[in-house]
Amino acid sequence: MKTPFTLIIIASFCFASANSLPSEQRKNNKLVQAALDPVRLALQESSAVFYNNSDRRPFIYGTVVGADGLILTKASELAEVEEFSVRVNEENFSEAQIIATDEIWDLALVKVKATALLAVTWAPSSDIAHGTWVVSNGATTRRYRRPRVGVISANKREIPGGHTAVLGVGLKNAEGGVRITSVTKDSGAEKAEVKKGDVIIEIDGVSMKGIDELKAVLSKRGVGDVLNLKIKREEEIFELKVELMARHKLYGGVQSRNDSMSGEFSPRRTGFPMVLQHETTLSRRSIGGPLLDFEGRCIGMNIAMVNRVENYAIPVEQLLEEIPNLQKSLDSSK
Amino acid sequence: MNMWKLWLAAALITAISSSSARPYFNDQRAPENLADLLSIQQHLQENLEQARAATVCLEMEGGGSGSGVIISEEGLVLTAAHVTGGVDRDVTVIMEDGTRFKGVSLGLESSTDAAMLQIVDERTFPFVEIDEEDSFRLGDWVFSLGHSGGFDKKRGVNVRIGRLTRQADSTVQSGCMLIGGDSGGPLFDINGRLIGIHSRVGASKEESLHVPLREFQRNWDAMLDSKFLADGDFAKRGAAGTGFLGVVVEKSSDQSLRISEVYPESAAEKAELKEDDVITALSVRHLDIDLKSEDLTEVSGVYDVLEQLAPGDAIRLEWTREGEPHQKKIILGERP
Repeated sequence: MKTPFTLIIIASFCFASANSLPSEQRKNNKLVQAALDPVRLALQESSAVFYNNSDRRPFIYGTVVGADGLILTKASELAEVEEFSVRVNEENFSEAQIIATDEIWDLALVKVKATALLAVTWAPSSDIAHGTWVVSNGATTRRYRRPRVGVISANKREIPGGHTAVLGVGLKNAEGGVRITSVTKDSGAEKAEVKKGDVIIEIDGVSMKGIDELKAVLSKRGVGDVLNLKIKREEEIFELKVELMARHKLYGGVQSRNDSMSGEFSPRRTGFPMVLQHETTLSRRSIGGPLLDFEGRCIGMNIAMVNRVENYAIPVEQLLEEIPNLQKSLDSSK
Repeated sequence: MNMWKLWLAAALITAISSSSARPYFNDQRAPENLADLLSIQQHLQENLEQARAATVCLEMEGGGSGSGVIISEEGLVLTAAHVTGGVDRDVTVIMEDGTRFKGVSLGLESSTDAAMLQIVDERTFPFVEIDEEDSFRLGDWVFSLGHSGGFDKKRGVNVRIGRLTRQADSTVQSGCMLIGGDSGGPLFDINGRLIGIHSRVGASKEESLHVPLREFQRNWDAMLDSKFLADGDFAKRGAAGTGFLGVVVEKSSDQSLRISEVYPESAAEKAELKEDDVITALSVRHLDIDLKSEDLTEVSGVYDVLEQLAPGDAIRLEWTREGEPHQKKIILGERP
């Protein structure tokens, strides 16, 4: 594919202050925030703030989905932190437990010891026209959640990204299997000493006739799973155990020019079956909270800051499908 | 005419004129409540469909993509000078639904970042109105469109909203965020009239800089006439004489101008010019040069033109090969 993008030049310009709109009047500053006060109440009560216990800083937000302390958030960010505590409204919960995670949506369900949280009110639909205002949790103090506003900015759609669990190799169909054309540095494949030119004949006893079969096997396995690869190298045939790694961890460091313009963005930002897109100015740390309409109803959960102009949210319909699946492990652990 | 009809007619006129009237929220310090914000949303959404239809992705022949906006039924497009980069260059113009048209860049103004291009395919295009009176003011609510990061059919055009936050002579700043690929895209007032073209971003996220329409109006005719204006940073024209076609031309016994040598790897070789081709016409749009066969009597006539050119400049060449006429637009390379 083509397209090195035309770069917008970063410039600093001098303007006379008389020709400048006072800061408080700008889109996401004081006065507009005051106008958003009715929606802010929903954020205050039904969004959560996750603090990293090691530096006591908020690193991700959450969405309260059950009065009994159930909070939904972004799994891959949570996995980065060893110990965390959760704040909802003004209350702090130091004991928080990850109940279940889902790789496809990058969701984690967390339980805190609470009995009377106010869960989000779900919107009837996420089919919302371009240009409709949406509200996210923008910044937070210990006591106070601050709204940020933006609009629905593009079509609702699937974001491709391939499987989240990867071997870390380049592949080509070959006679009798799938040939490895490259091995990514620091991948499970490299650690297992898989070499360029090797041909994968079988994975876990299933013979590999081509890349499609290999993809089918990978689609059923998750990050951390160990696969048994039967390899043909020249005339030798032997087996290697390869651990699957998260795609974003292995390849997330590849940056485009637009990425470097965006500062921090969500490491995992591809591979979602369905997303809403909005243009609210967020940061990597303000992902995980609810995306609200002007009635304070939840139309989705922010799942990725993609770049400085694009954020993704999982739509309400898909959240309502996934939450019961995540809760199953709660029921089975009782 | 009875009074009822008269009243209805008056009401209709009011309704029509109010659609482009200055909305009350532009004169508020800031929206005071959700109703004010919803009124902004309503204006935006009423005008979004037409604005999206007229916003295009531009893929330049030499690589790189930007955005633009159609402002006439015939397909005149406004964009940024740093997107087209030069005059008479080939562009693929992509509508939001993925339909592709051929375009060619017209003139540009390289110190303000203004440029025009024309869609070559003949058709009726959706277009937007421009704010001819330059009527926007600081604090006005505006919206921005563009193909951020290049064309993505499933995503479509990206919408952003903000206020006008600063003004200067040749620049207007908004809170609509931009990223690579948005360059050349449109900034609209809340009634959907074009007020600027995306140019660059400031240090903070919510500082985007646009070329106001008055900078286009100032040089409208010259840009329509494919002139490369000013010597600014947004489009660089190399020094005259550094451009390279890569041919040696000789005058043959029948007085025709014949190519006697084509340099390897040159623009001429890439354009598949061959030894013994006879040059019959040579034109350069941005220099107003248009030589026909009757003008091409001496070898120096061709060289005089080429010596005025820089790398990236486009020439239109016509030639005959064994009596068969050929023509091509050729982008010059760099003199070795």
